[in-house]
Amino acid sequence: MYASLSANNVPAALLLAVASRFSPQVERTGQNVTFSIAPLRQLIGSPHQIASEICRAGYECKLPASLAIAANPDSAILLSRHFTGVTMVTPGEERLKLAPLPLAELFAYDPVKLTPSLLEILLRWGVKTCEDLAALPEKGLSERLGAAGIYLRRLACGTIQRPLRLKTERSSYTIEKELEDSLELLEPLLFLLSRAAGELCHRLRAQSQAARELDLQLTLDEKGADYTCRLEFPVPLSDARTILKLLQLHLERHAPGAPVRAFRLHLEPVEPQRVQGGIFLPPTPAPDKLQLTMARIAGMVGAENVGTPVLLNTHRPDAFTLTPLPGSAHAENQPPETLRLAMRLFRPALHAQVQVVQLAPKNLAASGIRGHVLRHAGPWKTSGDWWSSTSWSREEWDVALDDGALYRIYQESASSEWFVHAVYD
Amino acid sequence: MANTIGGLALDSRWTKASELHVTREESKLATLELHRLKPFFPNGLQRGSLLEITGAKSSGRTSTSLYILAESISRGETCAFIDLNNAFHPASLPKAEVGLNHLCWVRCNGNTEHALRSADLLLHAGGFGVVLLDLCGARPQTLNRIPLSYWFRFQRAIEHTPTILLICAEQPQARSCARYSLAIKNRKFHWKGKEPFAILTALESTAQNNKVSSIRPEPLLIQTGEA
Repeated sequence: MYASLSANNVPAALLLAVASRFSPQVERTGQNVTFSIAPLRQLIGSPHQIASEICRAGYECKLPASLAIAANPDSAILLSRHFTGVTMVTPGEERLKLAPLPLAELFAYDPVKLTPSLLEILLRWGVKTCEDLAALPEKGLSERLGAAGIYLRRLACGTIQRPLRLKTERSSYTIEKELEDSLELLEPLLFLLSRAAGELCHRLRAQSQAARELDLQLTLDEKGADYTCRLEFPVPLSDARTILKLLQLHLERHAPGAPVRAFRLHLEPVEPQRVQGGIFLPPTPAPDKLQLTMARIAGMVGAENVGTPVLLNTHRPDAFTLTPLPGSAHAENQPPETLRLAMRLFRPALHAQVQVVQLAPKNLAASGIRGHVLRHAGPWKTSGDWWSSTSWSREEWDVALDDGALYRIYQESASSEWFVHAVYD
Repeated sequence: MANTIGGLALDSRWTKASELHVTREESKLATLELHRLKPFFPNGLQRGSLLEITGAKSSGRTSTSLYILAESISRGETCAFIDLNNAFHPASLPKAEVGLNHLCWVRCNGNTEHALRSADLLLHAGGFGVVLLDLCGARPQTLNRIPLSYWFRFQRAIEHTPTILLICAEQPQARSCARYSLAIKNRKFHWKGKEPFAILTALESTAQNNKVSSIRPEPLLIQTGEA
């Protein structure tokens, strides 16, 4: 059973104060407050006794409100809005009690789901009250008006059962701590950060949230020198261990330059990523585990050396960037039909000495490479980006040497110098 | 009949160590079918196994390794490429436009220790289809210093998992830890047209799976463009 209090031109705080005397969980809708009276049955007694207690509380607070008690929140709200005084409905009689309500009341109650065009249609049909609407067959309504028609009819019959829509206060995901003594070592600092991260992750999970960003501010002993770091996670995380490990790896690479006097840890909440794995899909690395692994490898080889390559839309040789993590979506494609000859690049390109006879390379010498050219193909002229500082212009050759290897070499147009770009392998 | 060792009679239920037959448990996971390498791997690659591809420069070892990587990616798997000498050419990966999205590339700048530790981390993270450890171009002295226990550790890490560890090098490294060992030799290059208008069309090599004695060297044709 639910009780709803409705009052016009009354401060919302006053309504809430009266409702809060009876239940900590109160739904607020416009000029209404609704709460469950089921737990009050044992404390106060029958619905009649509960209604009189609510009236007494309203009288003490000088609250001119209407009260309705019904089996579901929607009926209680509609009745308290329409009928003044106290309205009691025994379960099963909602339809009778709601019958005289004009349809406009229902549309005013839920303007999001019920559009004015729907009201116009119903008025043209001659349906003016809830009684008229409840008399229509549900199947016919669904055929003509869809889901909105079914919802409207059930609202008019008072048969919609739903939980209260409670507004929860947004939790704070920040922890600040002033330390009695400054911390010089990373380990004791991580111990404190671990507790803070654990507490924040607990709050996140309690609210079904996850963190996408982490902000850490460290107040250092040196005046005016504060340390800030921001970690952006490619996938939302709510596991304290993973977050702490990522933070540890970052702090080990970028250590604060002075003892730490205070810290402020903040996690930015987002909706967690929920992906259902398929039975027949191939396994992929767990996103949080992969992120941690990549961070560990980045700590070893450098962040610029780890990632997923993305080819750039240019003809410039060896043009690519690295993005942090591989794509998680399964993208099955056709398997390669042939073995394709690959190149192994020399980064940077090897400076070479090339003997040219009759406009073609005849001998090649570079670091670790020396030989006579048996067969060659080329030259192919390529150039581009002439409008920017990364412009290139070169003549490329494929040369097969007598050592059995096949190289891609090029001569830069500007300097006429030769380089070994790659070896076919 | 009871066994006897040093005059002591053993119970018939005990077996001598020399008579033990160690059997390797077959993986129950689906194998990785390699259509273009069918002569060398008729039943595909067993999951949780270690494969070595060896060969000299321009033998086609990198092309073959990238083909296996592309086959795995084409099944929707995520793969990893541990690049010791920063030699990977992303555009060389077959079906690169799709495949690169599912590839983790680790560049080790010639540091063998970083390459091995990265491989260890990736194999223990799990979930990868193929992890390619490219040791081509490394100095033999450096590779000879890698303890055999590393390869046993890697083998244990991938056992009973869907991951295949692929090692590409000039000489065999993992030895007995490798379930497959494909040795590739360069035979000749195919050119089209006459100089100065010649174009390279294919590389012809021969390859042999050293772990299966019945398979003789077979030709392996590697083309310059996708068919």
